[in-house]
Amino acid sequence: MLERVAVPAAPPVRRVTVTALLARHGAVVALAALILLALVATPNFLSMRTLNVNLTQVAGIVIVALGMTLVVATGGIDLSVGSLMAIAGALAPMLFLGRLVPLPAPWVGVALALTVPVLVTGAFGWFNGWLVTRYRIQPIVATLVLLIAGRGIAQVVTNGNLQAFRNPAFQVIGLGRLLGLPVQVWLMAALVLLFAWAMRRTLFGRQILAVGGNERAARLAGVPVSRVKRRVYVISGLCAGVAGLVVIAINSAADANLVGLGMELDAIAAVAVGGTALSGGRARIGGTLVGALVIQMVRYILLALGVPDAAALVAKAGLIIGAVWLQRQGRVA
Amino acid sequence: MLRRDMFSMTAAAALTALGGSRIQAQDAGMPKLAQKTAYKVGFAQTESNNPWRIAQTESMRSEAAKRGHQFVYTDAAASAAKQVADVNSMIAQRVDLIFLAPREEKPLVPAVMAAKRAGIPVILLDRRVDEAQAKPGRDYVCFIGSDFILEGHRAGEWLVREMKGQAAIIELLGTTGASPANDRHAGFVEAIKASPGMKIIAGQSGDFVRDKGRQVAETLLQANGAATAIYAHNDEMAIGALAAIEAAGKKPGKDIIVVSVDGTRDALQAIIAGTMGATVECNPKFGPKAFETMERYARGEAIEPWVINQDRFFDSSNAQQLIADSY
Repeated sequence: MLERVAVPAAPPVRRVTVTALLARHGAVVALAALILLALVATPNFLSMRTLNVNLTQVAGIVIVALGMTLVVATGGIDLSVGSLMAIAGALAPMLFLGRLVPLPAPWVGVALALTVPVLVTGAFGWFNGWLVTRYRIQPIVATLVLLIAGRGIAQVVTNGNLQAFRNPAFQVIGLGRLLGLPVQVWLMAALVLLFAWAMRRTLFGRQILAVGGNERAARLAGVPVSRVKRRVYVISGLCAGVAGLVVIAINSAADANLVGLGMELDAIAAVAVGGTALSGGRARIGGTLVGALVIQMVRYILLALGVPDAAALVAKAGLIIGAVWLQRQGRVA
Repeated sequence: MLRRDMFSMTAAAALTALGGSRIQAQDAGMPKLAQKTAYKVGFAQTESNNPWRIAQTESMRSEAAKRGHQFVYTDAAASAAKQVADVNSMIAQRVDLIFLAPREEKPLVPAVMAAKRAGIPVILLDRRVDEAQAKPGRDYVCFIGSDFILEGHRAGEWLVREMKGQAAIIELLGTTGASPANDRHAGFVEAIKASPGMKIIAGQSGDFVRDKGRQVAETLLQANGAATAIYAHNDEMAIGALAAIEAAGKKPGKDIIVVSVDGTRDALQAIIAGTMGATVECNPKFGPKAFETMERYARGEAIEPWVINQDRFFDSSNAQQLIADSY
């Protein structure tokens, strides 16, 4: 939407510069470069197992970042995703271990564990949206509430104790395989396709861009701005819930203190690197996927090369600065 | 909440100021502990968000009850500032002795000094404070804790024996800069130094966390196909590594031998199942040692600066018998 408004005002001569090209496809170029680097520098890179390791590790970030992309496209931000993952992660084992409600049969517990936590985090997402729309609180402040309180809730529910478990039926979402690929990778792929389709083909997708591009104009044009905003926060909450379940399923344990810790930053980084403008009005689902993969590849390469953790964090920060700089260049050109 | 904290802090500050002027004369000496049958003891815990801390608190609480002492407990919820305030409020309550599990080395020095000025002896548990600023025997009674270097050493010794001196080792380190991580690394390196066949081929921090330990192990296993052993600085990371080994299509306990430190229930279960090799206990049960040391101090005995809390060793020979006792 922003682009469409900007085009008529732009000067008549449109030069395709290198920076503009990079801004548009910078993330893809970066990913290609990183994969080349990994091929040269790290041993055993070209194998199915490497692909599996990387896709498994990136799935959680991608799922959260998809919801984040929609929120960012409306000009908002959701800091609470990591804490919501912790809440989902805390609730699920309590459900399938039968600590909350008595279970008539084991499958009931698993079914509840796969649905209720996600609905709960969706409801928390709705609360975020309600704060943003009803009281016009800035999203960064409104979602800060649950960033802090959400983890507290997860800790209170579990008494801060680590919940270890073994439940093959539930853990399919983290450990299962389908046609050689982990189940959570299929889940991630399905969600990417769904979100890409929704942004391109549905009215809701258009409305998100309209709200993010120019909220007043959208309101005057009859877009239900508040409803659209509340919905994107709900979606972000649902995504966080799913990611929380995946993480605890892989680890056979839920730790309210650590599940999803720092996830909001990874997700925002993936969105930013992927080319979605943090000022809103633009959403690139494919870009978010590529952005998450870029972050993952950086992490993988630095780990495989034995670069210490602290340096890896700095590299990640540098990447985000580079991505934002490229975006700005793109807008100037 | 905030207001109450502020109040207790100011109250405590006023009290310490009062105490300070009174006790300055005998500043050189350590506060004494009178011999009584029942004491009012304070325990300032740093946090209680993991099984180890919970087991530690439980051990202190039950031992105090067993010996008939009154137990004043505070939880600093992972904040050094709150822990200083906690100690100050214990001073205000005039406890006889304070057990302190200091969260960080430097920020807790003022708390130790405030207690000394108020004439209340302090015993440090499981972590130390900066020894340049506060010394055992002068500013506090002593430090009770495990020997982290020895823990690393025992893990290394076991691995050398188990692998017959030949291993390509991946090391999962604890939080960068944390003293258990530094010491467990140093002890391990020392133990394998004599065997040229034992090589650490890769080492990265897994932050003492299961999820991160798993991800780091996945990556390192992929990049280092030749690895035959993993040494993790704690059980949570080791359990993450077990999942990573399985995901890489190998058998933990057969293709890759895992050894770690802590002795949690999950780790003992893995040892019984044959997936994990061994774990060196990092004993959280401080109660008996802590109160025994307190009573020795009351009797006027000289206390060594570092009272070592004994750690056991768990492997397939004893995991089954000892699991009921684990945390």
